[in-house]
Amino acid sequence: MTTNPSIAPIGPGGAGRLAAPRSLLLSKRASRLRRVLALLGHGVLFLIASSSALAVIFIFFFIARDAIPFFRLEGFKEFFTGTAWYPTHEPPVFGALPIFVGSGLVTLGAILVAVPLGVPAAVCLSDVLPFSVRQYVKPVIEMLAAIPSVAFGFFALVIFTPLLQEHGGRVLAGVWWVVATPLVALLVFVLSDVVANWVVGEARHRAVRVLLAVLMAAAGAWLLFDVGGRFAALTISSGTNALNVSIILGLMALPTVVSVSEDALQAVGRELREGAYALGSTRAEVLVRVIIPAAGSGICAAVILGVMRAVGETMVVWMASGNAAQIPQPWYNLLAPVRTLTATIAGDMGEADQSAGSAHYHVLFAMALALLAISFVCNLISEQVIRRSALKNE
Amino acid sequence: MQRAVQGTRRLGGLSVILCLGCLVAAAQEDGAARKIVVDGSTTVGPIAKAFAGYYMAQNPDVNITVSESGSGNGAKSLINSTCDVADLSRFMKVKEFEAAVANGVCPVAHVVAMDGLAIVVNPRNPVQELSLAQVRDIYKGQIKNWSELGGPNVAIVKISRDTNSGTYETFESLVMDNEKIAPDTEYVGSNGAARQRVKSTPGAIGYVGLGFTKGVKRLLIDGVEATKENVASGRYPVARPLFMFTNGYPKLGTHLHAFVTLHLTSDGQEMIERKGYVPVTSYPAKARLVNDDES
Amino acid sequence: MRLGTRKVVDRSFTGLGIFSIALVSLALVILLTPIVVRGIGAVVFRATIEHDRVLMEHFERGNASTFAARNATAIAARAPVYEMLTAYEAQYGVDDFELEELREALQRLLGPAPDQSKPTLARDQFGATRWAQAQEAAHNVLYVQEWDYSDPTQFGVPVDVPRAKRFAGTPLESLFPYVSEHLDEMLQPHWTLYWGFLLDDSLDAHMFGGIWAEILGTLYLTIGAVLFAVPMGIISAIYLVEYAPDHWLIGVLRSCISTLAGVPSIVFGLFGLAFFINTAQVSKYFMAADSTGVSSKSILAGSLTLAILILPVIIRAAEEAIRAVPRTYKEAALSVGAGKWRTILTVMLPAALPGILTGIVISMGRAAGETAPIIFTAAVSVGRPLEVWQTLTQPTPALPWSVYNLCTEHTAADEIRHVQYGMVLTLVVLVLLLNTAAIILRARVSRRLAG
Repeated sequence: MTTNPSIAPIGPGGAGRLAAPRSLLLSKRASRLRRVLALLGHGVLFLIASSSALAVIFIFFFIARDAIPFFRLEGFKEFFTGTAWYPTHEPPVFGALPIFVGSGLVTLGAILVAVPLGVPAAVCLSDVLPFSVRQYVKPVIEMLAAIPSVAFGFFALVIFTPLLQEHGGRVLAGVWWVVATPLVALLVFVLSDVVANWVVGEARHRAVRVLLAVLMAAAGAWLLFDVGGRFAALTISSGTNALNVSIILGLMALPTVVSVSEDALQAVGRELREGAYALGSTRAEVLVRVIIPAAGSGICAAVILGVMRAVGETMVVWMASGNAAQIPQPWYNLLAPVRTLTATIAGDMGEADQSAGSAHYHVLFAMALALLAISFVCNLISEQVIRRSALKNE
Repeated sequence: MQRAVQGTRRLGGLSVILCLGCLVAAAQEDGAARKIVVDGSTTVGPIAKAFAGYYMAQNPDVNITVSESGSGNGAKSLINSTCDVADLSRFMKVKEFEAAVANGVCPVAHVVAMDGLAIVVNPRNPVQELSLAQVRDIYKGQIKNWSELGGPNVAIVKISRDTNSGTYETFESLVMDNEKIAPDTEYVGSNGAARQRVKSTPGAIGYVGLGFTKGVKRLLIDGVEATKENVASGRYPVARPLFMFTNGYPKLGTHLHAFVTLHLTSDGQEMIERKGYVPVTSYPAKARLVNDDES
Repeated sequence: MRLGTRKVVDRSFTGLGIFSIALVSLALVILLTPIVVRGIGAVVFRATIEHDRVLMEHFERGNASTFAARNATAIAARAPVYEMLTAYEAQYGVDDFELEELREALQRLLGPAPDQSKPTLARDQFGATRWAQAQEAAHNVLYVQEWDYSDPTQFGVPVDVPRAKRFAGTPLESLFPYVSEHLDEMLQPHWTLYWGFLLDDSLDAHMFGGIWAEILGTLYLTIGAVLFAVPMGIISAIYLVEYAPDHWLIGVLRSCISTLAGVPSIVFGLFGLAFFINTAQVSKYFMAADSTGVSSKSILAGSLTLAILILPVIIRAAEEAIRAVPRTYKEAALSVGAGKWRTILTVMLPAALPGILTGIVISMGRAAGETAPIIFTAAVSVGRPLEVWQTLTQPTPALPWSVYNLCTEHTAADEIRHVQYGMVLTLVVLVLLLNTAAIILRARVSRRLAG
């Protein structure tokens, strides 16, 4: 094959000694054969490349195949609006609304933890910290993403749950103090300044300013103590509840939120930043008024991806959410045990009479289908949002 | 040179194929006789795990795997021929039998032990005794606070087993009279998890198999303590047999046969006893004595 | 706002970011500290003579002469205990509930009495193997825990009643002070490094022994998943970068890949159950035709399920890595007459290899840690470590599932907390090692690309 002495010396690296020159020497028929072969190869490649699409189609097909019999048996109405979940009772009742609410509640809680923590962290990573520090901070957040969910679940069940039960109120109060004190102090400072400017204008009335500051500080301290006291007085009868799961899920969704919003912030060009700085803004003003709005859609996508992460998580909610199929009273009561879609699937999948086509078996697939639909829609939205922001930034 | 490279490549390809062939051959040679797959109830699980450990120690070439995924799952696996032994903490349902027969599977029951459902609370809880009706009212959500039962002013945290478990079905039929359990009941996936939750939650109440009552307090039900003797004699109201199901009666002399009849040996009975269950074979005599004494 | 205020706001804004990063780090520390500290406790701990006995009898390991010496001392120290018991039985008979309780407590501490036949269950064959457990067991010998429910409107208070009181005036009265004084001699506590925790089989559902079956199972599942996913992933990536025409079908394909990445892991589990186990019965093809066995869940089915789960990760990483290869490489290769495939195989792929490897390593971490997909397809609670060829037909214990199983379902979950922590730590270390490798790889790549 490579014995032609005139060709051999061309490619000393040996990499491409074969293909191109040889085609010059080949007959028409051979070149047609090559073209057919190339086309075939292309086809095979496409087939392999579409294996993931095939997987998606298979997943949809197999889940839907077992989900549809449920809707045929029981209809849609009870599943989406019923509030009683007794899948093994005689006759069974399949009101999955509490389960949807449960999934929604823990997801909301997770987002309430992940976004206020994650977005400032992303801003800090992209615009504040110097490269030398960022180098060490990013792996920390990636570590959080890498820890297996069962380890989080283990922590939630074995360490966090007893802690909440034994010292529930005090733990919450402690968290409140740590988080709220700096925020309230900042708020007091800014507000007192703003109010003072509003009251006395630009004039230098030192006494008024100090008085206002003291008043505000007192109000802030009262707020801190009052809410802190309320938290401390809480007793948590059951540590496996929506709050426990929300905090853990929030931590799990956090890396997604941080990395996607950091990408979005980075994508906002230098020009905008430099323009804003040139107008004399401080860094905070640049970020709040210019950069974050410009990266808004990217941050939205980050939140959506975080939602996806929280909705789809199984082990943590199965182990630590309490799995009570109820709508909490009132609905935002995070201290109530709740049941989620994923945990219901994982826990109930053992239901008996699969071959006999029981509704309980199929209802779990209906839930899986709902989960699939949710993640599909979230995915589409986030893709759309990212694409639009990419267009805008160009 | 190129040819040599191609030659080695071809050789490489050949050897890969050969290796795969060997793998398949080895896997086939392995056959199935030396693999026993056990699936099912978490209540029977400890017995199955102990049996598996014991049997594997005696027969080093046998691999017995035990999953604890619930009675329903065990039955389903047997119906689909994805397990050899299905652990059930309830009897197989008619529908399951029908499905099994339709699949060409003929379930045969082996009663391995007796078990009682102990109603348990946290040991800190001063309540010692409840009637069956009170337990029912608690789970129906009509009694919400321990103070209504003469205990401390603490909300009752109800723990239940997952609805696919045989334990749940036993509880539903024997205690709840098929009434619905209140929606704020927390569900856990296994006896062990129920015990854990009750043990770590001061206001909790739960129900678990007799083998899972370490660290929690068994309540007297209608004045009867959940002991092995009371279970065996039938005085304790919430008791049931535990099953292992196989597809047909296993061929004599196989590992499978030895495994599902292990509970009849004295070692098997000792293991069952030590795990906190009631062996089927040794207790009736003793239990009858208890009843005779009373009558 | 005044300039000063603006400055302060600016500073505190910075502070806010750093504060949130600090909180995240704090959360990580709170999460990992107990896992690391108590996980190490599974390997490094104060062992008793019973631990050595387990190793000697079941794993044939340990220094026989040291053990014999220690054992002799221990037996000598224990002898009086059993003498007292015999004396008591001679006087009061054996049929005594309190005596039974005491014997049970002693068995938990010291193992079966010399006159007792060997129990069947491994957990009854040995006493407390860890000094911390031994102290607890000793406490249970000395005291009976009762509850003070004098005020029924309050929670009870635990009261330790000395067991000695029950046996006052009998030969057993002096047993209790003896036990509390000679505990050290009876159990011979010593610090030990039990590396076998990682490499030993488990004994009696993890009461003793190690977690080798779980580790091996996790490795098989991970490697299997990578074996299936990597060729597919890389070829898909090559196609997407080099061959894909600008066609709406390709857009759909890309959407599918990102959808696949977003599918909840439990759905993969359901799919694996419905497809690989119930429909395709993948393990059936590897069983002898006349086999009476069942086509159960298996490592093969689990690996296939995990492979689909990590496929999008690998495709994305490989795509990015191939795209990042400078155009000049490709152009140079083509210009010296290399064909397209040859260019890809010998120039592009080697150049993109570190990036692809990073993706593979990260996806390995993902596959190793996932629980939900293997619940229905591969994981069992008890099983042997498998040979390679058995992976095609047999299920296995795996770290993530066993963590769940042991901390919730096990009958003695509290007594084997150290095993659970050890497992979690092993899993976390495994995954973090993989991720660290990925981070280092990536750093090298970026350095190489930069200079």
